[in-house]
Amino acid sequence: MENSNPTILNAADLPTRNRPTVKSGDYPSGIFAAVPNPADFLSSDSEDDDLLEEPIDEQEIYDLIRSISDPEHPLSLGELAVVSLPDIFIKPTLPNVPDSPLQTVTVLITPTITHCSLATVIGLGVRVRLEQSLPPRFRIDVRIKEGTHSTGDEVNKQLGDKERVAAALENGALMQVIAKMMETCQ
Amino acid sequence: MAKPTLTLLSDLTPPSLERTWLTAPHPTLPIVATCSSDKTVRVYSLQNFKLLSTITGGHKRSVRTCAWKPHIQGESVLATGSFDATVGIWRRWDNYGRSENASGWGVEENDESNANAETTEDGEEEEWRFAVLLDGHDSEVKSVSWSPSGMLLATCARDKSIWIWEDLDDGDNNFETVAVLQEHGGDVKSVAWHPVEECLASGGYDDTIRLWREDLDDWGQVACIKKHEGTVWFVEWEGTETAPKILPAEGVDAESLRSQWRDQHALSGPRLVSCSDDRTVRIWRRLPKQMMQPGAMSSATTGIPSIIRPSGTDETWEEDAVLPHAHELAVYAVAWSRRTGLLASVGADGRIVVYEERVVRSTDSDAMETESAEGKTLLTTEWSILAVVDGAHGIYEINHAAWAKRADRGSDGDEEVLVTTADDGSVKVWTLQG
Repeated sequence: MENSNPTILNAADLPTRNRPTVKSGDYPSGIFAAVPNPADFLSSDSEDDDLLEEPIDEQEIYDLIRSISDPEHPLSLGELAVVSLPDIFIKPTLPNVPDSPLQTVTVLITPTITHCSLATVIGLGVRVRLEQSLPPRFRIDVRIKEGTHSTGDEVNKQLGDKERVAAALENGALMQVIAKMMETCQ
Repeated sequence: MAKPTLTLLSDLTPPSLERTWLTAPHPTLPIVATCSSDKTVRVYSLQNFKLLSTITGGHKRSVRTCAWKPHIQGESVLATGSFDATVGIWRRWDNYGRSENASGWGVEENDESNANAETTEDGEEEEWRFAVLLDGHDSEVKSVSWSPSGMLLATCARDKSIWIWEDLDDGDNNFETVAVLQEHGGDVKSVAWHPVEECLASGGYDDTIRLWREDLDDWGQVACIKKHEGTVWFVEWEGTETAPKILPAEGVDAESLRSQWRDQHALSGPRLVSCSDDRTVRIWRRLPKQMMQPGAMSSATTGIPSIIRPSGTDETWEEDAVLPHAHELAVYAVAWSRRTGLLASVGADGRIVVYEERVVRSTDSDAMETESAEGKTLLTTEWSILAVVDGAHGIYEINHAAWAKRADRGSDGDEEVLVTTADDGSVKVWTLQG
């Protein structure tokens, strides 16, 4: 174990919408408030709304990845603050093509220590979790937050390489590690 | 003049249900082979856009790449490269593909030209004979390419190496390892042979493009181009028969300009095109040997001048052009038509872009003619975007593009189609109209 004494956040303090007290449309307020998707307000009067895909915001992305387990601690990425709500961004992929449905989800990862050798595996876990949960119109961009890892650029290049990620998904040993990390996800 | 548009002719059906990586058009027959993550290769007809055969059972993981061996008679030979680290060689007699019937293979299965077929009773899949498995790479094979003669096969992988194999053509499916090239600093993503010479180009994860030739029995690197700022996903050569477009205008002798361009171009030979994670598509030109003064060695194109030592085989490659910016995400493939000289690029943004090269005339720019070292005037050209299709495969990323001869209206004519291959398993055939 590389970092035997990581900073741990209380799970109850983490921002989430997965609680019975939060009603739909009732966004959490305060510094952790997710920016509501403008589509929520624009499409309120149509009968077809139920048929449309529900808009996905940063909070939902966070809820998808916060419960992933750290590969070497019995804690979640949310509790270790490896992933955090302010480091998740959703933007149109092709801003010059107004009717394009493509959106890019950027997740910045903060490893618990700057030389964490498992940063690539954690990043891959986050990418795989999002690829498997989000509709294919999302382009997923998982990278190490600048200045938080000694070989961040290398890790980023690998995480951004579609072909390497595809091959990793066919690698049994690696996928066992990833599957173990996902066991704590709903 | 109205801009040409890229129009969808047809999908290839039925599609793979998993990601498809690449579609290779056959060098002579109206068929293509599509590589899929479902571990198979699908062979489709370009006459009716239907599935003809599915090649299964050879690979344990995704089939990433494939290439048809050129210059063989009566038989088709396909090399496949897989994430399982192996390269497969497959053979099939050509009897059905020759049918004039628009339905393609599988109809006149029992006519007299069928004598050499293995069997028709066990179904079409039996017709593809697994010939040999080339074992050597340590990790995922990313690209395979046959030399213009069909004698050599180049393969490359995540293990940073390029292997060159010689097809001994001894009737026993023997291949001999000719060279293992290990200069790349990361995955080798793409290999491509020069259209006529035994010169290999490669591009990869180390952001470089490298050129390789044989010198006195030893294969070695003759140039390293380090200018892309991200993984080089694909490299491809220009054909030998095409020339840039010369717009008709008063006082322009198109024929003499064309012949001037050909003379000038012959000094450098076919150019190379590359595309990258850095969103750019770039064209590279070899400096003619007689222009390679010692001073030219410090050319900034390589970034590592110390590697380029003036010797018998070393070459200096210069950036000829950066194509107009048209992609917002990684550019995964580029296709250079050997019939028309048009370029097409595709990538993660789901966009297809077609480019055309034109000779720049003096009325367009003062830079039409620049002085070369010998005091001769040089023609300059310019690339412009001819057509763009956004969301060409819906929301999916496009992994590959290739030009092929149009075949759905009979075998006449020299019309061309563009075949694009996407993440959802769809393969689409397009024509450029107008």
